[in-house]
Amino acid sequence: MITNKLAKSSAALIALGLVLSACGGNNAEEGQSASSAPASSGTASGTAGGASGAANGWKGTITMYAQVYTPNSKNIAGLKQQKALQEVASEYEAAHPGIKIEFVDEEFKDYTQTVRVKAAAGEMFDVFWGQWAELNNTFPKGIAEDLTPYFSQPNPYIPGKATWGEAMNATVVSETKSPDGKSYNINGDYVATAFFYNKDLFAKAGISQPPASWSELIETTKKLKDAGITAMSQAPDYDWFQRHFLSDFYAKEFEQIAGFDQSPGVSSLDQSVAVAKGMLNTSDPRFMGWWPMFKSLTDNWKPDYLSSEPGVVGSNARNDFLAGKTAIFYDGSWLPENAKDAKVSFELGSFNFPVLTQADTPYTTGTDVSGAVGGPNAAFQFAVATKQANASMKEAGKQAAVIDLLQFVGTPKNVERIVNEHGTFVPTWPDTKPAESMAELANQASNELKALGVGGSSPNLNKNMQRIFGLYLSGNIDIAKATSDVKKELDGAIKEYQSKNSVDLGKY
Amino acid sequence: MTGKAKLKTALTGYAFILPTFVFLIWFTYYPVYQALIGAFTDWDGFNAPRYIGLDNFVRLMSDEVLRQSTINALIWVVLSIVLAVVPPFLVAELIFQLKRERAQYIYRTLFVLPIVIPGIVTILLWRFLYQGEGAINQLLELIGLGSLQQLWLGDPNIALYSIILMGFPWISAFNLLIFYSGLQNISTEVLEAAKLEGATGWKRVWRIDIPSSFPQLRLIIILTLIGSLQNIVPPLIMTNGGPGYSTYVPILHMYNVSTVNGEFGYGMSIALVMFVVILLLTLVNMKLVKSES
Repeated sequence: MITNKLAKSSAALIALGLVLSACGGNNAEEGQSASSAPASSGTASGTAGGASGAANGWKGTITMYAQVYTPNSKNIAGLKQQKALQEVASEYEAAHPGIKIEFVDEEFKDYTQTVRVKAAAGEMFDVFWGQWAELNNTFPKGIAEDLTPYFSQPNPYIPGKATWGEAMNATVVSETKSPDGKSYNINGDYVATAFFYNKDLFAKAGISQPPASWSELIETTKKLKDAGITAMSQAPDYDWFQRHFLSDFYAKEFEQIAGFDQSPGVSSLDQSVAVAKGMLNTSDPRFMGWWPMFKSLTDNWKPDYLSSEPGVVGSNARNDFLAGKTAIFYDGSWLPENAKDAKVSFELGSFNFPVLTQADTPYTTGTDVSGAVGGPNAAFQFAVATKQANASMKEAGKQAAVIDLLQFVGTPKNVERIVNEHGTFVPTWPDTKPAESMAELANQASNELKALGVGGSSPNLNKNMQRIFGLYLSGNIDIAKATSDVKKELDGAIKEYQSKNSVDLGKY
Repeated sequence: MTGKAKLKTALTGYAFILPTFVFLIWFTYYPVYQALIGAFTDWDGFNAPRYIGLDNFVRLMSDEVLRQSTINALIWVVLSIVLAVVPPFLVAELIFQLKRERAQYIYRTLFVLPIVIPGIVTILLWRFLYQGEGAINQLLELIGLGSLQQLWLGDPNIALYSIILMGFPWISAFNLLIFYSGLQNISTEVLEAAKLEGATGWKRVWRIDIPSSFPQLRLIIILTLIGSLQNIVPPLIMTNGGPGYSTYVPILHMYNVSTVNGEFGYGMSIALVMFVVILLLTLVNMKLVKSES
């Protein structure tokens, strides 16, 4: 009896000990900051293959969510078989025995929520897709590593450059920084947008050439309408079109607006200061000046989706175009691929957002802003999870290994091969060339990025502006009401920006 | 049975029920407690929450989106209750009036059968029906009422009603069965006595069936009230609260500020207020629609 009790007690003690040791097992580095600077050695060794991960001897699996670049995907809708990133990963694995790279092959309908939930649970992917605006404004602070210190150090896989940052697009890096000057992702590709059109429907309406000016664009939609053809049918994306118009109207003040934070590119801080100063605000007639002229275009559209959110009806509207029911569709550079996948029966054409003239609006500066909508908001935007967002990062050496992998993936050669294989986006780093299929749209990416907007001030600002924009375009509110509602939104966003970032906008 | 034996039996019973209570407290009550506490914090769902006192509730007072959402929710609740009560009761009454039991069984089955269709399918189907070139507008054109064609989900003046009124003919299988079982519970003596007194047809419905169905009525009103205030899926899927904020409701606002904006503290304060309001409305309803009557 005594023996039995003793055995039970011993077993209980051992079990308790195991549980306690398991609980404490990963806490060795808990005291360290998630955003601590990189080790001075290792990553900065400067020798190809002198990886910090290998140097630290860490072995294990690195998980990566690479959005449309996910290799061999079976679960992401519409994604053709990608191989380039797998090849890069395999090369890395071969050079670093014991490290395995596992790609997350899953489609997330609400990625923002997925990131929040996974980070809160400490289960974020080691390397994850994260666009700058979300990393700076939408996702919780502290889920992604601050990569800025690594940018100013050598990347061992880019022998010809003194620092990793030198291999990147400097304007993109600057434009995508957070209000406190940090970079949370590496940003290697660029999305372009254009008006895509159905050449057959144009021919049916007797239109031989795509429009070359704003007035021709309106005239074209009228002709299509008169011929019984639905000219356009989509929810006009406020964020996209504001960037076109504001980038033109404010082209002369661009440097001033972009310079509030003393660095090139328009950061969320620049936007917020410009709003607070009344430059990008309703007190300047240019800010709302494009709404009526845009309405003159949408008045020729099918009204169904005008007041809807692009996120809700976007796929329906795209399907209408791909099914040949509508003549024009404004979309990203992924549309030709979508059209191929849908095996459309018509010939597809495209034309850029036209250069505006004084005949169109007195506010124009005549600047070519066709590339203003795209920009560094595509899929080669990768961030690294912090130890708080990903508990496995507490393992000694893992964080360094993950950064090392990112450095391996983030070389001009790899950026080019990964981005061009997909054929939908344009690689932006110096010494990279676009894919043949993107040559026409790539000139948008080669222009200096001079895009203006106000969406960076608050995560909800663009969504609320979209609602007001939709109500105005669909004729449910007039321009006076729209202006007053927009002013309220901007004022609220600025207040939120200041309180969330502890910034005094008045000092600029 | 001795006192000791009784205690032993009782303890055994409590031991069996204990795991259920542990999980209930863990998974149901504890999150509610967390939400109550979280309502007084600024929390992004990831970093440590920061206590901010009543700030979230002060913000609630001046939140114009919440004001618009509350008005929408009140319209939704009233219409939902009417739709949840009237059509199912009428159909239950009609089935109950059928003389042949087999006929009653067949009709009951036919009305209950659609319950196997997932709710999300119904919502997506109605989104399709409401499209500009959808079946509803085409039908109106076909029967010569083309002038009545609408942008059912694109017009802020009618979008809310379009969502509320989807699901025609509004026969909730659950409510139908509840009413039907209530009617079945009316004793045959009462029905025969009513017949002798001349209470037939609508007279019987008004004087016997409806008063006898008050317990079911109360249950359905409470469930519909709670359900319609918590029903986030139709506005989220069909319009995401648009056009403008015309189909926004407090639960959708709570969802968006929490999961989209990452303002979980503020979202929790909306949830707390909703909890209090639903509790009060339920108490009022229980007081007004007394089962004894």
